[in-house]
Amino acid sequence: MDFDYNSLLAFIIFGITIGVVYGIVALGISLIYSGLDIVHFAHGEMYMFGAFFGLVLVQELSVPYPIALIGAMILTALFGMTVERVFYRRLTRGGGGYTVAGMGMIICGFGMSMTLVNVAYFIWGAEAEPFRANLDYIPRLSFPGDIEVPESYVLTAIISVALMAALHYFLRYTKTGLAVRAVAHNKDIAYLMGINVPLMISLIFGLACGLGAAAGVLIGPMQSVQVEMGYLMLMKAFAAAVVGGFGSLPGAILGGIMVGVFENLGAAYISASHKDIYAFLLLILVLIFKPSGLLGVEAKVKA
Amino acid sequence: MLQINDVHAGYGNLKILRGIDMHVPTGGIVTLLGGNGTGKSTLLKAVSGLIPLMEGKVLFDGVNISNMKPHERVRLGLVQVTQAKEAYPAMTVEENLMLGAYIRRDRTDIVADLERVYEMFPVLRERRKQMSGTLSGGEVQMLVMGRGIMAKPKMLMLDEPSAALAPKVVLEIFANINRIAKTGVTILVVEQNVRMALILAQYGYIIRDGVIMIEGKAEQLISDPAVKESFLGGSVADTSKALTN
Ligand SMILES: Nc1ncnc2c1ncn2[C@@H]1O[C@H](COP(=O)(O)OP(=O)(O)OP(=O)(O)O)[C@@H](O)[C@H]1O
Ligand SMILES: [Mg+2]
Repeated sequence: MDFDYNSLLAFIIFGITIGVVYGIVALGISLIYSGLDIVHFAHGEMYMFGAFFGLVLVQELSVPYPIALIGAMILTALFGMTVERVFYRRLTRGGGGYTVAGMGMIICGFGMSMTLVNVAYFIWGAEAEPFRANLDYIPRLSFPGDIEVPESYVLTAIISVALMAALHYFLRYTKTGLAVRAVAHNKDIAYLMGINVPLMISLIFGLACGLGAAAGVLIGPMQSVQVEMGYLMLMKAFAAAVVGGFGSLPGAILGGIMVGVFENLGAAYISASHKDIYAFLLLILVLIFKPSGLLGVEAKVKA
Repeated sequence: MLQINDVHAGYGNLKILRGIDMHVPTGGIVTLLGGNGTGKSTLLKAVSGLIPLMEGKVLFDGVNISNMKPHERVRLGLVQVTQAKEAYPAMTVEENLMLGAYIRRDRTDIVADLERVYEMFPVLRERRKQMSGTLSGGEVQMLVMGRGIMAKPKMLMLDEPSAALAPKVVLEIFANINRIAKTGVTILVVEQNVRMALILAQYGYIIRDGVIMIEGKAEQLISDPAVKESFLGGSVADTSKALTN
């Protein structure tokens, strides 16, 4: 039997495209984890809200897609910052910050996830809504062997990579980025450097939620938008974050791409109806052979 | 410059400091001495705002800073270098130093101060592009002190800058504290190296179980029999006797 290399290539290309989207959600989860020491279980809902904000902007307010993307990111960032300020931060009142609030924070995250799904249900209903974005101005990409990549995939890849590059630049080369890294490593020392730690925590949270929203607006036109879309994305993004090494930003991206490619190949060559299982299969394999994740460092030591 | 009035503080319900009164005059070097676990670091945390006061107040430059956030106190010029000797290991030496200057906007002055720190601690210049996680203990101490200077403080609080360092490095660190003081920075230095600290400082406080036991001019403390007995530890012969017992 002939092996069709062209379709293999196609599956890999689609896998990478969807994988970078998992990657940017995972990036947000990792950012919150390294900055606030909490695993944010309601992050899938930020992705879902982002998708709905984008949809409303494009379909009801006729905002051009690129501007809707930015708008949805900003709205979701503000929304996430509000949630963090009003709900999560209360749990840290006992002292010791997010590190000590630990278990309570996890439970609060789960509760927030359910609450947000229901809020969204009240606003937008339970039905899946198609996200019709006009992407005609983006050229289709043709690869050798007649592989056509649709506009939305091209756009997704470009924007995801641009967002990652922007985040990298921000963290590595700006003064505020330096402060964010300082807060992520040690809040007391950051305070003693004169850094407004609570403000930076808001910023970290907002950035992470904004990234989640971008993923929602990018995935929207490929699939559809629905109030429960956050669960599966959260699971995939977690798998991506763990595969890459929890808390590692480059790891989140690598993990995302691996999950995307792995599940596309699994769906193509094993069974398409089990598509969503492959991510966790990969997760289990990585946990067996390299528990700290591919780019993970040893558990970070906290003062 | 710094006035500490009847400060009570601790962790949660656990009270460590039970009514501390201290005064650090502008331009001076004052030392706070005491054994392990007596509350020295706790006092510095309370003054920096990392832990809240239970009672009492702290005045800096005549301003009541008791309820200010830590970063606001830094902006007033009150800077602490912690005992944990925490540099950011995943940042280069120079990034760490620039982080010290986070609150400042005077670009050219910052560069001049960076130069000054490199002059003070030449080894930091050699290691400027190196991740600070790879530095030796002595080098990290120089780095965190340098980082403190980069904030252009009016007052610098140093928590046991000589801890766990070789005698030669200790000497270098103390000489540099003296140099920093000469540039007009007021200094409060917490120490367990009592003899060195009392030679460096003009005034000293001795803390025990969260209260100030003795205070006085450094030259008086150094010859005080009570201080001598409990801290300076007598002669080499006494020490070797204690070791073999
Ligand atoms: N975060 C904390 N939570 C609870 N108790 C603490 C905490 N930090 C310190 N303590 C306790 O407070 C007391 C005073 O500690 P502190 O660190 O102020 O001592 P110190 O004088 O600086 O000692 P050393 O010279 O060993 O550094 C100790 O009994 C210590 O166990
Ligand atoms: Mg101490």
